Amino acid sequence: MSSDVTLGSTVRSEWIKFRTVRSTIMGVAITFVLTIGLGALITLAVRAHWHSMDPTRQLIFDPVSASLSGILFAQFAVGVIGTLFITSEYSSGSIRTTLAAIPNRLELVWGKLIVLVASIFVVAEIACFITFLMGQAIFSGVVPTASLGNSAVLRTVILAGVYLTLLSVLGFSLGLILRQSAACISVFTSLLLILPIIVFLLPQSWQNTMSKYEPSELGHAMTSVTTPGNDFGTWTALLILTIYVVAVWGVGTTMLIRRDA
Amino acid sequence: MIKIEHLTKRYDDTLAVDDLDFEVRPGVVTGFLGPNGSGKSTTMRIILGLDHPTKGRATIEGKRYAELRDPLHEVGALLDAKAIHPGRSARNHLRALAASNRIPFSRVDEVLEFSGIGSVADKKVGDYSLGMSQRLGIAGALLGDPGVLLFDEPVNGLDPEGIRWIREFFRSLANEGRTVFVSSHLMSEMAVSADQIIVIGRGKFITQGSVDALTASAKGSVFVRGANHQQLLAALKAHQGVVSELNDDGLSVSDLSSDQIGQIAFDAGVALYELTPQRASLEEVYMDLTADAVEYGSTGARNE
Ligand SMILES: Nc1ncnc2c1ncn2[C@@H]1O[C@H](COP(=O)(O)OP(=O)(O)OP(=O)(O)O)[C@@H](O)[C@H]1O
Ligand SMILES: [Mg+2]
Repeated sequence: MSSDVTLGSTVRSEWIKFRTVRSTIMGVAITFVLTIGLGALITLAVRAHWHSMDPTRQLIFDPVSASLSGILFAQFAVGVIGTLFITSEYSSGSIRTTLAAIPNRLELVWGKLIVLVASIFVVAEIACFITFLMGQAIFSGVVPTASLGNSAVLRTVILAGVYLTLLSVLGFSLGLILRQSAACISVFTSLLLILPIIVFLLPQSWQNTMSKYEPSELGHAMTSVTTPGNDFGTWTALLILTIYVVAVWGVGTTMLIRRDA
Repeated sequence: MIKIEHLTKRYDDTLAVDDLDFEVRPGVVTGFLGPNGSGKSTTMRIILGLDHPTKGRATIEGKRYAELRDPLHEVGALLDAKAIHPGRSARNHLRALAASNRIPFSRVDEVLEFSGIGSVADKKVGDYSLGMSQRLGIAGALLGDPGVLLFDEPVNGLDPEGIRWIREFFRSLANEGRTVFVSSHLMSEMAVSADQIIVIGRGKFITQGSVDALTASAKGSVFVRGANHQQLLAALKAHQGVVSELNDDGLSVSDLSSDQIGQIAFDAGVALYELTPQRASLEEVYMDLTADAVEYGSTGARNE
């Protein structure tokens, strides 16, 4: 590469930008609150109603995914963090200053991606492990619990953090394409909430084949110890979701390189 | 040095820059002048590699911006002072910028002090006045101690003290041998702060030269008062003189020098009482040059 501006200095610069705005700090705080707080509420509710639960449902009850249910809400927080990391540059106009300092646009995208993935991965894993351990502590004595000593359980908790990290990259990639916070957040929310509703309106046979491809359903498959319903297996779900995110990221990066800033 | 070669930029149906061709030399302040919408900002964005030209190219010391090894060390730019994340402090903004080009943080403190915003460096940029933002933008442009500097309408929002400060600052940058390229839509501003001026209109090159040369090249007129204005008028017209005004007081004549007019009047046998060359002001030169190129000119304002 002809530029003296290396990936290392780009990462350093983007890391300063990432951590010096309130939206990131707020986003991270909300991620913790949603993952852990909702995890606590849901596990407490399960514990309270455990004895009145249908025995067949008790049998298939997954204490791991139950303790991780907060990620269904935290996924929006990390999506917004990812989106704002790029769209705030467009809304303020600072993208031009950024690109004047780092003219290699591919390098800029990599720099931002490294900062985002590393930060969200750490935050999400911490949140997921806390909510898991807290959930099991709440269950103990009443509801069957899971232990991290079981490799399938450990894998599921780790993949919950991976799921959140992938969704933050999805938010970021939509930001590269749409450049506008509100539009990105609408599309992001639609993919996770509206898409399942649309699929639900289709004939049953279509539903069965299509619903497992929904991002939210893939997340469900990734964060369950046992494979629920007709979902994909854990690793297939991870692979498909990764392909989605990489595809959107590829389109976004190409657009950043081709378009005027 | 900045070199613009056959630069053309089309946005959908707008031809923003139309085959521009000029050079911006080091050691002087070069004003980039044109009415609103004439393509100044577009040209600057292309120089910085932000917008892709439709045709032609812009180079800095022979290289395209994307090829610069260390962009902030070679080029400093201030395009839009308000284009900074409002929630970040000035110091953090500059530190992120410095980190990207491996500039030490001590340099951040230096440029903050120099620009006069050292005492407010930890406040959120969103709370800055436009003038403070301009100073922050200038601090950012100076960060890498570059040899080429671009400023897009830098005096907007500055108070008279700030305007004087910035003029002297441009002058000192040029005296240090740097290339200083400053855009404005106000001739009066450029007349005092620039040495060289490049004028464009509707994306097209109009003229280039020193402030003095531009004024000198202007079509001045000559005011003439004599014994018989009608007879004088006929004689002047016979010699391709253009009489722009005629009343009881006298005539305004252009396209002829006062020497020629004196001779014509003498040959025609008309006694002259007054013969006064009237130099056009630089402002008038500019209005004249860009009259056809005003994109958003108000129709009323152009009727004298
Ligand atoms: N991104 C864009 N998309 C479409 N048209 C654009 C874009 N940027 C500029 N233009 C158009 O190109 C022309 C030149 O605009 P530009 O901003 O370069 O002018 P300017 O000389 O800087 O004007 P001003 O003095 O108002 O700043 C205008 O007609 C403008 O509307
Ligand atoms: Mg402009």
